[in-house]
Amino acid sequence: MSNIFLKRLTKELRDMQTNPPSGISVESADDNLNVWKIRLVAAEGTVYEGEVFTLQFKFGNKYPLESPEVCFLLGCVSGTPPMHPHIYSNGHICLSILYDQWSPALTVSAVCLSILSMLSSCGMKESPPDDAAYVKRAGNNPKKTTWAFHDDSV
Amino acid sequence: MKVKIKQWNGVAVWRWETKQSSQVDDDDDDVCGICRGPFDGCCPDCKTPGDDCSIVIGECKHVFHMHCLFKWIGSDLSKQLVRYYIER
Repeated sequence: MSNIFLKRLTKELRDMQTNPPSGISVESADDNLNVWKIRLVAAEGTVYEGEVFTLQFKFGNKYPLESPEVCFLLGCVSGTPPMHPHIYSNGHICLSILYDQWSPALTVSAVCLSILSMLSSCGMKESPPDDAAYVKRAGNNPKKTTWAFHDDSV
Repeated sequence: MKVKIKQWNGVAVWRWETKQSSQVDDDDDDVCGICRGPFDGCCPDCKTPGDDCSIVIGECKHVFHMHCLFKWIGSDLSKQLVRYYIER
């Protein structure tokens, strides 16, 4: 385990527990800090108002030089991932900063805020057009998917 | 009362002068964007702060430990993003 991994995640966890951004809270983090579960509460006045979702972050040993593996959890209290044009029903999220636009200057909290704002800017609950086909062929790890990012509107 | 100085020891403190830290005392601005450790400390792989573990400041005014930034530049995916950081 690299120094930077442990030092940075310890600090990020402490920051998020003492000063959590609005709508975002850490549900659990395992002892090695490899897997975190984070609760997202959708903002008022959005199409998801009143809904609660759980995100799972998995950190590889090269974090923060490599992006974490982030997806919505299925079958937890919150039930299903949000229905959103960029979120597949298996929990995978089409968001460039999680893949080729990752930068080590991003943080867990910045990623969560991006995902919350992605939910907030969505005007209509719709699944991605290729949801069924994608979910059928995709593996567990969304980082192994080749993503095409083409829509900045939501 | 007269005081006769027999001996004195000079003591100095130093800190990296980053634009960010002189502007605001916000906690987040005194830390490296990559390792989140303080600039006046060293990167997670070094033991002694100072010249052995210096900082770099981009034109964007973002500040990083040099070692942290080089780890990122060295990783394959990142060349474009670093150029973005350094040039902006």
